[in-house]
Amino acid sequence: MNTVLTLMLVAPLLSAALAFAVRRHDQLRDALTLAGLGTAAGASGVMFATVAADGPFVLRVGGWHPELGIVLVADRFAALVLPVALAIIFVVELFAIGQRKTAWGSNPELSGPMMGVLTAGVSLAMLTGDLFTLFVAFELILVSSYVLLTHQGQAAQLRAGMTYVVMNLLASTLFLFGLAYVYAATGTVNLALLTERIPELPDGVRLGIGAWFFVVFGTKAAVFPLFSWLPDSYPTAPTTITAVFAGLLTKIGIYAMIRFHTLMGMDQLGNTMLIIAGVTMIVGALGALAQSHVKRILSFHIISQIGYMLMGLGLFTAAGTAGAILFLVHHMPVKTVLFLVGGLIENDQGTGRLDRTGGLARRRPLIAALFAVPALSLAGLPPFSGFVAKFAVISAGIEARATPWVVLALVAGALTLLSMTKIWLGVFWGADPDRVSVRRPPGNRPMMLAATGIAVAGTLTISALAGPLFDLSVDAAEDLRDPEIYRTAVLR
Amino acid sequence: MIATRSPIVRLAIQTATPIAIVLGTYLLFAGHNRPGGGFAAGLVFGAVVVLRTIAGLQRPRHADTLIAVGVVIAVAVAALPVLWGDPFLDMKIVETTVPLLGKIKTGSALPFDIGVMAIVVGLIVALLDGLSLPTVDDTGTEAGAA
Repeated sequence: MNTVLTLMLVAPLLSAALAFAVRRHDQLRDALTLAGLGTAAGASGVMFATVAADGPFVLRVGGWHPELGIVLVADRFAALVLPVALAIIFVVELFAIGQRKTAWGSNPELSGPMMGVLTAGVSLAMLTGDLFTLFVAFELILVSSYVLLTHQGQAAQLRAGMTYVVMNLLASTLFLFGLAYVYAATGTVNLALLTERIPELPDGVRLGIGAWFFVVFGTKAAVFPLFSWLPDSYPTAPTTITAVFAGLLTKIGIYAMIRFHTLMGMDQLGNTMLIIAGVTMIVGALGALAQSHVKRILSFHIISQIGYMLMGLGLFTAAGTAGAILFLVHHMPVKTVLFLVGGLIENDQGTGRLDRTGGLARRRPLIAALFAVPALSLAGLPPFSGFVAKFAVISAGIEARATPWVVLALVAGALTLLSMTKIWLGVFWGADPDRVSVRRPPGNRPMMLAATGIAVAGTLTISALAGPLFDLSVDAAEDLRDPEIYRTAVLR
Repeated sequence: MIATRSPIVRLAIQTATPIAIVLGTYLLFAGHNRPGGGFAAGLVFGAVVVLRTIAGLQRPRHADTLIAVGVVIAVAVAALPVLWGDPFLDMKIVETTVPLLGKIKTGSALPFDIGVMAIVVGLIVALLDGLSLPTVDDTGTEAGAA
């Protein structure tokens, strides 16, 4: 297990360095990148199996006691979410290699190695047992994401990248201040020790810490009203990079929020979270309806869906937290797949604008099928995973008598379906566009289709295994809601 | 270039270079128990590189190699203890007596610091390379190329 946790951090970093050194040799670089990402994904699978069998595992980095050093904690929450995240990155990298030679592809010399750095950051963010390492992990993710977003140097990307960098730097600065605040109040940044010391603080200080970190993680997660950077920046990047960002980055914010606010028992923030969750859901869904570009519609949906996870968290009940975790697990692959399909559409039609596409269902039924499954799932129709996830969150809401939020969630679900219909009408039905300006060369289409197919198969697996996954989410939520379990595991 | 026009700047930077390198090396070795370390050493070496670039004197190239080698060294040293069952980032301390210098105490933190130093210097070189690229206007042609 020691080796497994280490591999998840070391393999992607090492492969990134080696791939960067040989970045002009296409095949060698791709092989190294895939090997690093694959090793990390494989290791996370082993971690899942081991944690499921033996319970949480804690790695004391360098052998230092948690009061002094860094700990990596593979609890049931991390063991459930991390494998999904790493598998997604691996599949997207496959797609990226297929897309490489097209006008839409990212520049592989930088994007391959940077994806490795991003992966190491994602692993660290999910495994870390203290707030300062979480900050470092966020920075690792952000710095590589700055490069990934702007590395092609197009005017639109630089303009959007500016907003993205400024917003995230602001959030990082607030994070750092928050760390100082927590350290001043409690004398530690270790999560296990904080679960002991934060409840002893006066109510006002506790509320302050909770609210401060809600703003920090909320900016990363793009909740209302801190989301403005997202729909501008994401659509400008190459498809594969948007797919990873959409699937993972905002979700890391939500992940951190679920972990921190649930472990610290910040129940008094519950109502604020619910209100913001409701507005986020509706604003995101309405924003999506107003767009007329595939990637922009999908970007607004990220925001809307974040609202559901926040609602599950804001309920502060076992069922609510479990619902939020299940939603997280469902949402990451589905969102990624939708962006990959968006990339396939652009590749085929020369654009993602709804008024310049059409008739794709006739000409490319496979792409239509690959879109339909995750789109219906996102909208929350049975039997797909989105239905199970939304059902979990909404039934938790009914149980907690949070009726207004349940209604809002249902309305947002209907609006989501409406905008998915909009994409379907614009892209897949209707007359062929007057002229298709496909930019050559078209890239390795079978490989891109295969990668998207694998990802769709993944989302279907999640739908099929929804029952066991829900049980796992309940377990993970129980671990988070009882800080005693976390504390014993870490401090022992 | 300033170096060709001002002998004062050239001589000052040429004199400062070996002193800064000694200081950087000291920081690299002191870092284990006292203020210093790979990052601080890298910054001192980086400052030398920046000064020499401004003056137009010779400076290291190959930012990519420095960064890649640095990451590989640092990550490998961090991960190696796992092979014999110790935790990630565990540190081995070696103590020996050598003639002239007497008792020497060092550890696996030293190669780790050297890796960090290489990354920092590499990033500074990369930054300088980036800043010295020809400027490009909106249409993608070099400015001033008419």
